[in-house]
Amino acid sequence: MILAGIVVTFLGFLISVSSVALSSSVGGRIAVVLIGMAVSLFGIIGLLNRAYLRNAIWKK
Amino acid sequence: MKKGFLIISTVCLLAGDALAQAPAPGAAAQPAPAAAPVPISDVEVKSVEAPKADVRAKGDPDGSLTGTVADVPVADAKKGLTIADVINQVGQNKIAINFVWTLVAGFLVMFMQAGFALVETGLCRAKNANHTMMMNFVVYAVGMLAYWLIGFPLQMGGVGAVANLGGTPPLNAEHTITLFGKAFGIFGKNGFFLTQGGTYDVGVMVLFLFHMVFMDTALTIVTGSCAERWKFAAFIVSSFLMGAFTYPLFANWAWGGGWLANLGTNFGLGKGYCDFAGSGVVHAVGGLSALAMSILLGPRIGKYTRQGKPNVIPGHDIVLVLAGCFILAFGWFGFNPGSTLGASGNGNLRIGSIAVNTMLAGMAGSLSAMLYMWIRYGKPDASMSGNGLLAGLVAITAPSGFVNTVGATMIGLVAGVLVCLSVEFVDRVLKVDDPVGAISVHGANGLWGVISVGLFADGKSNYGGSWNGVNGSVTGLFYGDASQLVAQLIGVATLIGFVFTLTFVLNLVVEFVVGQRVSAKAELEGLDLPEIGALGYPEFELKAGVVKGA
Repeated sequence: MILAGIVVTFLGFLISVSSVALSSSVGGRIAVVLIGMAVSLFGIIGLLNRAYLRNAIWKK
Repeated sequence: MKKGFLIISTVCLLAGDALAQAPAPGAAAQPAPAAAPVPISDVEVKSVEAPKADVRAKGDPDGSLTGTVADVPVADAKKGLTIADVINQVGQNKIAINFVWTLVAGFLVMFMQAGFALVETGLCRAKNANHTMMMNFVVYAVGMLAYWLIGFPLQMGGVGAVANLGGTPPLNAEHTITLFGKAFGIFGKNGFFLTQGGTYDVGVMVLFLFHMVFMDTALTIVTGSCAERWKFAAFIVSSFLMGAFTYPLFANWAWGGGWLANLGTNFGLGKGYCDFAGSGVVHAVGGLSALAMSILLGPRIGKYTRQGKPNVIPGHDIVLVLAGCFILAFGWFGFNPGSTLGASGNGNLRIGSIAVNTMLAGMAGSLSAMLYMWIRYGKPDASMSGNGLLAGLVAITAPSGFVNTVGATMIGLVAGVLVCLSVEFVDRVLKVDDPVGAISVHGANGLWGVISVGLFADGKSNYGGSWNGVNGSVTGLFYGDASQLVAQLIGVATLIGFVFTLTFVLNLVVEFVVGQRVSAKAELEGLDLPEIGALGYPEFELKAGVVKGA
């Protein structure tokens, strides 16, 4: 889960950078960058943080 | 009678005065033609007389005799003073002004370390005061060492000419890769030990000092979010890695001639990624690293109940906190106006505008945070008012050089509310423990600052006619250039996707090698004795915390 979180977060960055090649319009680029950001945030909040919360200190 | 005479004479005087000031008819419409330039010869330069020695010996109470032709150095004593000498002196004066400006600004930023130390220590419990203070103290040395050895060359080794500092020609080696048919600058290669590659250079030294204190600011953000549970040895290794790699890499991409700065020249995205003084480079890097570290470390014992509800763990000294906020606000006048790297030439007189934008955004952030807390919780919260001030300052850091005062105030207002919402989100939804609110102040508002450039930049700034190699001034969406917003968003995505990941992976390695978190016993006892060997307040009797188990 932690490894998946790291990979997905980084993948979001790659998607955002590729926006400059995937589209030539401003609107298209913004859309791709926002998708990339959403993927990264899912990696951080949805995967990484959740993995750590599963074994959080207050649950012990 | 007397009264009437007085009124008439006053009216006559005022009318006469007004007439005397009024231009003759037609005079204003026809400005006098500019005088043709008169060439100056060496003979005329030589004829300028210095004050006589006997006059000078009497002192100079009004300052009119100090700083004259006698102070212009002569290259060849036989020839005497020439025009070349005068021109060289003019050039050196310009660079000297810029050197002094940048150095003094750097000294102010260095003093911000004291502000951070007070804020973070005040927001922690008394049993961890020495440990928190020591982290803030030692990060200065550890960060500087890492930056001198590795970080600075990676960041600025390929920046090219920094005109305000006399050119810095030795910083000319950038490693690039080709992507989408364009050169992507990744890291610099000159400047190791500030000697390699001819970097034993006065301009390079000024640049190093200024960027070193910026880097250290980013590092000290993390110590706040990880306070009260971070192993001191792990903190040192982690900070070294951040000062050597994480910070310099992103800073190279934004400021060192890297690929983000060149999004304008390579892909037509505005003026490329624009971050005037580092909302992204310094604060978001620090804030997102703080998020990564806080997730990795986990919350303090007692921060959450068994059901996962957050407890409030109050800091031990609000006086330290607010005094620290003021020190930080003072230091910010070095942070933002200093980022022109000069006060003379190339549009640098805009330093006044930058300073005013900085203070206005801080004011707006502080007020909006205070009002938000007052309306929501019934009292104006002191620590959140302080965090609101810092949030406004963080947010204006990137746009400070590109926006007007209305834009700056709006950016600050949003920042003040954003920091309150973000603190609640991090605390209650993410369940990530951040004792000082660093993730919200620096992370969330650092990203907001980066985005706000793409919205509020008014296209009026002019730093030598271009920015990041693209002619014209930085202009945001609200002033007609949507492509600038794209460049800013790519910067935000890089911060979230790359900087966070790199920090997390590097610290995962530290976790396996050194171990990041102190023992539960040490945490409950307080880190001062187990980690540092001395209490912060040895004469105080420390009570058990309000929170169960704290």
